[in-house]
Amino acid sequence: MKIRKSLLLLIAAIAIGALSYPPQWYPMPLRLQLTRWFGAADYRPLPLSMDPQVLDAETFCPEDASGWREAQVIDGVSVTRSAPCVADNPYAVAAFVKGTNNVSKDTLLRSGLTSDAVEKGRDLDGDGDPDEIHIRLEVAELNGGSSVTQRPVTSYDIAPGIQPGMWVFAPKLVGMAVENFETGIARDALRLPSPAIRVEQGDSITITLENSHYMPHTLHLHGADHGFVDSSGEGNDGVPITSEIPVMPGHARSYELQPRHAGTMFYHCHVQPHVHVLMGLQGLFVVEENRPNNWLQTMNVGAGLVRAPSAAVRESYDQEYDLHYLDLDKDLGERIRKYRDPRLITQSMHREYDITDADVDFFTLNGRSFPYTFRESLLVAAEGERLKLRVVNGGAKGISLHTHGHKFSVTDRDGVRLSPATVVPQDVVWIPTAQRVDLDLFLTNDGLHSYGRGIWLYHDHQNKGVTNDGIGPGGNISAIVYADYIDDSGWPKTQGVPWNQYFTKEYYRKEIPIWESYAPGLFSNTVSDPWWYPRLAGMALALAMLAALSIAALRRRSS
Amino acid sequence: MMRAPVGLLSAAILLLASSADIAAQDLMDHSAHSGHDSMRLDRDGSVMNENLDSLPRGCEALGRHLHFTIHAGVKYARDIPGSIFGMSQYEVRVEPCSRVTVTFVNEDEVRHQWMVHGLPKYLYPAGMFHIEASGGKSVTGTFIVPAEDRNYLIHCDLSQHMEKGMRGQLVVGRGSGDLWSVGGASAYFFRDDYMPRFALLFAVLLAVPGFLATWYLAKRESATGSASRREIFD
Repeated sequence: MKIRKSLLLLIAAIAIGALSYPPQWYPMPLRLQLTRWFGAADYRPLPLSMDPQVLDAETFCPEDASGWREAQVIDGVSVTRSAPCVADNPYAVAAFVKGTNNVSKDTLLRSGLTSDAVEKGRDLDGDGDPDEIHIRLEVAELNGGSSVTQRPVTSYDIAPGIQPGMWVFAPKLVGMAVENFETGIARDALRLPSPAIRVEQGDSITITLENSHYMPHTLHLHGADHGFVDSSGEGNDGVPITSEIPVMPGHARSYELQPRHAGTMFYHCHVQPHVHVLMGLQGLFVVEENRPNNWLQTMNVGAGLVRAPSAAVRESYDQEYDLHYLDLDKDLGERIRKYRDPRLITQSMHREYDITDADVDFFTLNGRSFPYTFRESLLVAAEGERLKLRVVNGGAKGISLHTHGHKFSVTDRDGVRLSPATVVPQDVVWIPTAQRVDLDLFLTNDGLHSYGRGIWLYHDHQNKGVTNDGIGPGGNISAIVYADYIDDSGWPKTQGVPWNQYFTKEYYRKEIPIWESYAPGLFSNTVSDPWWYPRLAGMALALAMLAALSIAALRRRSS
Repeated sequence: MMRAPVGLLSAAILLLASSADIAAQDLMDHSAHSGHDSMRLDRDGSVMNENLDSLPRGCEALGRHLHFTIHAGVKYARDIPGSIFGMSQYEVRVEPCSRVTVTFVNEDEVRHQWMVHGLPKYLYPAGMFHIEASGGKSVTGTFIVPAEDRNYLIHCDLSQHMEKGMRGQLVVGRGSGDLWSVGGASAYFFRDDYMPRFALLFAVLLAVPGFLATWYLAKRESATGSASRREIFD
């Protein structure tokens, strides 16, 4: 009786299993044999397209409520117009030019800087500009962790919804690190990249690193003329293994230099550089040629357009831009949020993270990835203008910088002027890690230097570099925009596809079909095939029955 | 009293309170009181939204005048594992409507702040009272606490300073319950795991005897009750 019942159940299980097993999983010979016997199965339509998700796109071009984009004269300093949507604080520009110790109280308050952020002293050579410069740098963490919130602390988005953990050098600021306590968004001067620093050839420069971060750091002046030791014999190279003990949290240290050679240089932290440099502790260090009455914009927050360019640059160029390329490894940055205890963060970043097994995910230009690059790092110019671009690649991989519609010339490499014979127009330049190139971009419509007015991309031509963690368009894509192709708000008059989806977190979370915005329904997400449910249920039931029968059989045998 | 006289008074207080630390020359050169709401700024630091005599709603009279000297610096973090920046005092207890003067002494070489959040916005723009001191400097500021029993957050808003230690609470009256993650005073709301190294081995070693003991006890019971169990199954 018992055996017969089990046998019946076994037959039922096998039958249910066989019937629910999907025919497309049958072995190929069996499928072919069945086709010979019965022909093709009946038509069954493929699943329908999902309705497009209703997306709430961010404002492409935030309104310039404070009028920061306009050309203005502040405390006697001419600050040029900045055409893209989001401009640097012109009061900070003026304070950097005159010195935070020399500007009016009102300008200083509006700049957000401390009175000792950039102090300018005596004119040592009597040529009408200050030559004693004292710069103070702090260290800030962006998108860090907390023991009271799971939101990234001092948050900074490189692109919609993308908040990698980062460390940056920052100008010395008054007040909170965030815009306000409720949003927790980093204030505009706390951002990637670390500020570009500009000094004049021959100036007597002191840079004090006030280490406001919870880890040790130093300052290494890569390529800039500086002594191995300072005037008091202390280490001045920023290299822990050969020069000096790093600046510990809460402490400060001054570095000195009097650069004899002008050119585009670099600075970065040299403590555990394989981690700290990659986290963002790096910036452009520009030594401008000495000229009379050469009042320099000592810092360029977030790099980009230099709104008070040097005398030497003004002699030959209409505009000067600092372009800082940096790639980021998601897996490294998230470690500052994964742990709260600095001991565990240190262990995770400096011992467990293995850069030899690592790869980079995000590709920034002046601290943003596409589409945010279009708010800030557009090169906006009129036909016939000549632009000087100072470019550094601070990333872990090389970049292959390409301009659409233009051929530029590389005039300087690593801050050294190239022989005129080697300066030829080109449209791709390979920039390995830490290298600087000065580019001469001449917007004359001659079919070689420029093909005429328009919106022309410039980007890393290595394919990774134009994605945000594998989703394109992203990465360091930006554009050369001719003046009549940009509207009053600073947004380029593009003629291509709508951009709404690029300004959503969902798109970069890989949830949105890439052509949905202009080919709705054609390449959409598909709904799932309901045909699976009975088959999955049948296969599950068959397996469960077989398992129960086997256990029952084993128990009978053992008893 | 209006804002401007408050600013003048606060400048005077600043001179009186920390004349030892502040060169008068510096104050003359750099102190600023512009259109920004009640902010005074000099080389040593700044005080925002100082309030010497405006009574919060619900206060019938000004309470006691209390003075606290609070030190900040990495050395104060040494006794609290896993913190980097610290304060000499994380909890400040005051009676409702007291006038509180804080002398904030920064013993580090970087900026620090002593910032109170959640105060009534009709008296304190953005609900904040804020003292900032440059490295090695001391800055004094005064404010009047509201009438309600409540706990307010005190912190330093430099990036990660609160997260790495500088988080305290101002308790007015009986307070309204401790805030989380206050240095040495309350638990961390999110806490790292600190899992022992051989956690899995430890758990398995305990689980094996537990399993064996239960098995043994269950077997003993099934041996005594086996006859009746057979009947049920058949």
